[in-house]
Amino acid sequence: MKHILVCIKAVPAAASVQVDGQYRLKRDGVNLQWNIADESALEAAFRLKDKDGTVTVLTMGPPKLEAPLKDLLARGADRGVLVTDRLLAGADTRATAATLKAAAEKLGPVDLILCGRRAIDGETGQVPGELAAALGIPCVSNVERIQREGDSLLLSRRLEDGIQLLQTRTPALVSVCEYSYPLRLAGILGMRRARTMQVTLWSGADLGMAPEECGLKGSLTKVIAMESKFPGLRKGPKETRAEQGIAVVREMLREVRP
Amino acid sequence: MISQNALHHAEKCRFCWMCRHLCPVQHQTGKEINTPRAKGLLLSMVNKGEQSFDKDMAQAMYECLLCDACTNDCATGYQPPLFIREARTEAVVNELAPEAVMTLIDNVLSTGNLYGVEKPSFGQDGTDVLVYIGEVAAVKVPEMAKNLLAVLKKAGVSAKVLDKEPASGVMLGDLMGYTEEVRQQAVACAEAINAAGLPVVVLDSYDAEIMKQKYPEWGCEIKTDVVTATAYVAGLLEQGKLEAKAARGVKGACHDDDRLARTFHEFAPIRAMAKAAGYEACEMFNHEKLARSCGTAVAYGYMPQIVEKIAASRWEDLERVDCAAMLVANPQAYLCLSGKIPEGCALVDLFGALV
Repeated sequence: MKHILVCIKAVPAAASVQVDGQYRLKRDGVNLQWNIADESALEAAFRLKDKDGTVTVLTMGPPKLEAPLKDLLARGADRGVLVTDRLLAGADTRATAATLKAAAEKLGPVDLILCGRRAIDGETGQVPGELAAALGIPCVSNVERIQREGDSLLLSRRLEDGIQLLQTRTPALVSVCEYSYPLRLAGILGMRRARTMQVTLWSGADLGMAPEECGLKGSLTKVIAMESKFPGLRKGPKETRAEQGIAVVREMLREVRP
Repeated sequence: MISQNALHHAEKCRFCWMCRHLCPVQHQTGKEINTPRAKGLLLSMVNKGEQSFDKDMAQAMYECLLCDACTNDCATGYQPPLFIREARTEAVVNELAPEAVMTLIDNVLSTGNLYGVEKPSFGQDGTDVLVYIGEVAAVKVPEMAKNLLAVLKKAGVSAKVLDKEPASGVMLGDLMGYTEEVRQQAVACAEAINAAGLPVVVLDSYDAEIMKQKYPEWGCEIKTDVVTATAYVAGLLEQGKLEAKAARGVKGACHDDDRLARTFHEFAPIRAMAKAAGYEACEMFNHEKLARSCGTAVAYGYMPQIVEKIAASRWEDLERVDCAAMLVANPQAYLCLSGKIPEGCALVDLFGALV
């Protein structure tokens, strides 16, 4: 693989996320972390790229993500691109995919696009499919293992009740499951190298996007209400004997999946 | 310079200064910069551009044992070792780390141990458990390793020791923070241990800590049970596989090593071992989770004089409670405490005491 593009999202690290009056996630004043599934996508990219290949990481978000992007350069990414523009705030999945599409096209030909299968904040899992559709390339979601086979990829895809093995041609977009490829750390040499590198900053205008295509204005959907639901505590007898405990768990499972 | 998370820990101090009273390095050096809070404040200033990260600051970041005493009593629940470790990474990346530290790092990277020598072989190829000896015991305190193996043999446990035991990564992690180089050592170590397919008994709790806490996070989990040697031997005593010794008529106090005490909260096994070894139980003022560190092998490697003072203060703790025997089951503690044993006191390897 000569060029792999990894789309990565910064999500709130706080255990409980907060929203503003327009039901948008509050990102100011909270610690951000890279989405775990996206980290797996990046590690997969490192393993799949050719020795002389390039891994580009692409993210959308506030300017403060420049330093965390440099950390990804230290871990082995060859180029970091941050699309940052106030006009992009509040983008739904469609507007996000449109922005990522514009950035991907500006980056030039890629052999493979990797994303996490969903972000832990919004949890929609829609962006990978929408981005692939916008680019007109195949999309395989929920992938746990990726292997190269000639010019194509062998993919192991997680289903609710099993594993599906697929083969796809490239270029393609693959969304990767969280924890499938734990991301490597930054090495000393990588950190030294990253200090000499610059993160590319692009605005919506740099991508040739009109204001009405970006952010809230470019979104087809809008959250109009939101409520918190706290699942009740599961109640069950306390069992100290293994066999009785197993019987209780079996009974509880039967309630969930008769 | 350091991660957002580490900076969060550095900046959320309430200035209660409790860590000043707990830090063993600050006690011995008397330098304000050696309080965990001061280190946090410095890093915060660096982040704000008010101070540059220079050699003096790098030196300060190494004047810490990473013993976690400050974390244990932090009023705000923050973890100074987290940002101190990251600051060490910064020091190494910018080639600002003290020369003695760089020598140790070179040793670990070239030979897999702090001492730059080949680890001795223990010639054990048993089938019940794999004993992970660790570099400090293997090179500096081999008697403790041999005593543990002898105790296991006595209890009928067939033990294996890897011929070329890989480094766990803990020493490199303490020297330069958790970087990919450390993770690579962890991956190699986990692969070697998993290939043996046996439950692992870890002699040095520092190795046990990284295996149990960091390996799963780094995607190199050990697939069998990992237990500390103290917990394993205490289990053998409980099962009646080892006989208790007759009372010696000597008062002995257990030294809880930093990571056994504050990471694993493991206090009972070492005391069960002390009792079975025939010592009359006694406690130092700072014990269990509040145990005062006596130094670490890593710190002993680059600041031996400070560590000797810290170890001497631990001996004073023992004398204060009118005890004659310092009972230890950790090779790093044994190494640091053996530097200068006060007259009339004895340093006891609890594994040896049970043979």
